[in-house]
Amino acid sequence: MWLHLNFNFGFNSSFVSKSLKKLPLTVAGLAFIAGINTVNANQDGLGPKITIPESSGESCILPSAEMRRQHPDLLKHDRIQTLREGVRAKADGGKLDGSLKQCVNCHAIKDASSKFVRIDNDQHFCVSCHKYAAVSIDCFQCHRDIPEGDGEFHALTNHKGINYSNIVPGTSSLTIKDMANIAPEVISDDN
Amino acid sequence: MTINIENEKKGAMTTTNVESSRRNFIFGSVAAAGLTVAPGMMLYQTANARSQSEKATSKVRWGMLVDTTKDVDWNKCVDACNNEHGLGNEHKSRDDQKTQYIRVVDVKNKGTGYSISLPVMCQHCEKPPCVDVCPTGASMKRPDGIVLVDRHRCIGCRYCMMACPYKARSFVHEVLSDQKENTPRGKGCVESCNMCVNRIDNGQEPACVEASDGAIIFGDLNNPESPISKILAKHGGKQIRADLKLNPGVHYQGI
Repeated sequence: MWLHLNFNFGFNSSFVSKSLKKLPLTVAGLAFIAGINTVNANQDGLGPKITIPESSGESCILPSAEMRRQHPDLLKHDRIQTLREGVRAKADGGKLDGSLKQCVNCHAIKDASSKFVRIDNDQHFCVSCHKYAAVSIDCFQCHRDIPEGDGEFHALTNHKGINYSNIVPGTSSLTIKDMANIAPEVISDDN
Repeated sequence: MTINIENEKKGAMTTTNVESSRRNFIFGSVAAAGLTVAPGMMLYQTANARSQSEKATSKVRWGMLVDTTKDVDWNKCVDACNNEHGLGNEHKSRDDQKTQYIRVVDVKNKGTGYSISLPVMCQHCEKPPCVDVCPTGASMKRPDGIVLVDRHRCIGCRYCMMACPYKARSFVHEVLSDQKENTPRGKGCVESCNMCVNRIDNGQEPACVEASDGAIIFGDLNNPESPISKILAKHGGKQIRADLKLNPGVHYQGI
């Protein structure tokens, strides 16, 4: 339908000015790109995939689906509470305190040589998803990207060393469609 | 006594060579007061300690009392500070650009030749000029009197560095890595001594206090029963540039 419309546009525009002549080509180009995206988004299995680490079932302070959606807001809320108000409570009254330090300690990924991967590595827990979503985060310009010492692993990571892979069967993967469902709402609590 | 600041050195400085016996002679009374406090006393008043789920309140005002008459190597405090906060991981910056939370300042009376050295960190003013001038609200004072930088809001304009009469703040000029997990630091932000706020919230003393062999006392200035308040009430202390009426939380003896 788009192409048909554009063709008519182009035909009519031969009677008008030069600047208008460029319009139909642009519109046609946009329609072409949009069309490809639509095709990919509508079909599972096409387009880039993202792999997420195997979970052992233990949940974070919220279920995984909510963590994917809400973690930016949780972190932002926590940073205001911690830094500006001095509240350093454990979020669940237990071992998790909801700080970025805690995130890093639990979600640290080790490479083949059993060293923690740093923020410049695509396997880093935060990077793997954020790179896929093309959302650049600057947390780690200041925050430490790997645990000090051995970290405080809990079952969110499977402790098997490398747990990201695009080729190993059994790792769960997200498609574009899945990602569209978990895109975080933008809520700002700046004050 | 007029004290002229003769020189100041960063990090590795040499302490002045005043013999301890002469020091003790001159400052006998103050030194004795320090001794009564030092051995085995719990200097961190826990009377007003709050739980980790409570906000910091203005019931407490944290402060420090530095006894410059004690013959301690202030570099030990500087080292403890650097270690606690992971300072010194700049590799490209010039020496005068590198972050320092504590400066060791030598002061000398040119008339008499008398000299002392003292650690100068953020003085945690009651009315901090750095907070007044900050355009984004990044430079802030917690209700319990700790002045610190919220790096989430700092845009690196360095206005606070200009405003601080104590030259307490530093600017990070390069990309950093391997920060300490309790002290996030990064390029483009101003930073300064935060009185080891993470340690205080955790019920510990600041790192420099711990390393000072009792020469720095930490406590609650609002609590008249705290050791720091008692010593200040009995023997007094001086604030640097008290004439500015900023009411710093860091007090000194022997200056």
